[in-house]
Amino acid sequence: MEVILFYFCGALMVIAGAMMVLSRNAVVAACWLIFAFINAAGIYATLSAPFLAVLQVLVYAGAIMVLFLFVVMMLQGPVLAGERRRLRPWLWPFLLLPPLAILLTVAGFLRRADNTSFPVAAPAGFGSAEQVAGLLLSRYLLAFELISIVLIVAIIGSLALGKVDRRQPWK
Amino acid sequence: MPLLWASLAKIVFMVLMILLLLVVLIWAERKGSAFIQDRTGPNRAQIGGVRLAGLIHPIADVFKLLFKEDVRPTNRHEALYTLAPFIVMVVALSTYAVIPFGDYIEIGATRIPLVVADLNVGILYVLAIASLGTYGVVMAGWASNNKYSFLGGVRAGAQMVSYEIAMGLAIMGLVMIFSTLRVTEMVAGQGELLWGFLPKWGVVVQPLGFLLFITAVFAETHRNPFDLPEGESEIVAGFHLEYSSMKFALFFMAEYAHLVVSGALIAALFFGGYQIPWLPRPLLQQHAGLILPLVMGVTVLVSARFAVLFFRRARRERGKFGDARDREPILMGLNCAFAALLVLLAFGLQPWRIGPSGASLFATLIQIGAFLTKVVFFAWLFIWVRWTLPRFRYDQLMALGWKVMIPLGLANLVVTALVLALIA
Repeated sequence: MEVILFYFCGALMVIAGAMMVLSRNAVVAACWLIFAFINAAGIYATLSAPFLAVLQVLVYAGAIMVLFLFVVMMLQGPVLAGERRRLRPWLWPFLLLPPLAILLTVAGFLRRADNTSFPVAAPAGFGSAEQVAGLLLSRYLLAFELISIVLIVAIIGSLALGKVDRRQPWK
Repeated sequence: MPLLWASLAKIVFMVLMILLLLVVLIWAERKGSAFIQDRTGPNRAQIGGVRLAGLIHPIADVFKLLFKEDVRPTNRHEALYTLAPFIVMVVALSTYAVIPFGDYIEIGATRIPLVVADLNVGILYVLAIASLGTYGVVMAGWASNNKYSFLGGVRAGAQMVSYEIAMGLAIMGLVMIFSTLRVTEMVAGQGELLWGFLPKWGVVVQPLGFLLFITAVFAETHRNPFDLPEGESEIVAGFHLEYSSMKFALFFMAEYAHLVVSGALIAALFFGGYQIPWLPRPLLQQHAGLILPLVMGVTVLVSARFAVLFFRRARRERGKFGDARDREPILMGLNCAFAALLVLLAFGLQPWRIGPSGASLFATLIQIGAFLTKVVFFAWLFIWVRWTLPRFRYDQLMALGWKVMIPLGLANLVVTALVLALIA
């Protein structure tokens, strides 16, 4: 069951990623990217990492992409803009790259047949919120605190950049 | 395999419960607003003279909306325009999966917990799904290709992103106190007593958290004091301006589904879920032979009283309308009398000699009833507030969200942590 779900989410994610690149409309591309994020969360969930899956949806699909979508919608103009354009001839060879990558991956899997099955079951409680929190606050405490400092610096930086001078409201 | 069937049954029960409550809520909104504004409200739709105080109206509405022409703007973005109402509805329904609506049902030796998915990350799942709800609204606003719709969509997006943070902070206090992310464990933890007499409900241990949470929920469902995405006096109808017939109905239904789910969430997190204060499950099960006949007796008395009232009304208002509506009080009275008789006959089954498995089932049913009562109360609270308070201005909304709610939420977290550290 989980294997089926894993491959289902994986296939949908590949399709969503391709559609994101191929769609001409920026808003539609953003929507496909959201769909890809949600499928990534599905992959995490089937790989017994439920906490990571929920955070993927909460942070990436839920919060960051809303802001992306805002910017795109504000800047894009009319809904039905954009004309069909041809791919430049010198780019045609690059069309072969994605199938080549898939072929290489499959070939790699087939050569090492013993790696294609996943015999190791995750121990109970693996990937739960408790375990992630325990690791973050013990083994990776330094990195965790450093990241929070980086985030605070980023917040202060964005506040300084976005600050409007009240005396010159047109600026 | 039986687990699969149990899950399916729970999902069907959950969806049916939301859809039925949704119909009742639409009725309650119309009738309740009429009550608050001193009007009569809906009372015209009837089936054979029976109007049920306007409860027939939702049925008529559904038929009207299903057969209405679907008017669509010419320059819409077809795919997103069609997809948006579905996303809104799916998000509204799927939040419910982690909220328990009862303790468990015992069948033989197996215990079936009455929650669709008891996730390890429970409450975070609610936040994650709620954050996806933004997209349906934003997409609807953009794909309609209308400036007012777009403004509504942008307003909804900004509002939901802002209040999500306060909502998360309010919940984190509860997570610290019950030291779990599972909603089921939180509800179970609220069955205990604090200092021996106070029920350990979320609202008792986290009063500020409750205020923050309920405010954030109002903003997330964009109900009245925060219904700026619709703001009919400023931007016509906001994000669903260009929707008609069943697509509009989906937005409308999703709003009330959101109310049911929010009511369930508030009840489960802050008001003990299915727990009845001072009446824990073992006590219920032990005295089932006493409580069940009591409940049945009260049911008989109430039904009989209503039957008497209806019959009196039928005599008083004989020939008032001069058509089929005159039959209504008689039919309703007969209905109530029949219900009273049925429960009276059930006394023949000797309910005071109920067995242990029956007592377990009875306790579960009583707890589901307690939960539904709380849900309906909070859903009614949403309606009550909508027809009482005026709408915020947009800058007031943003100022409240960022400058009041989030600092208060952070302070609440710090105080909670300090108190917990002092106790431990």
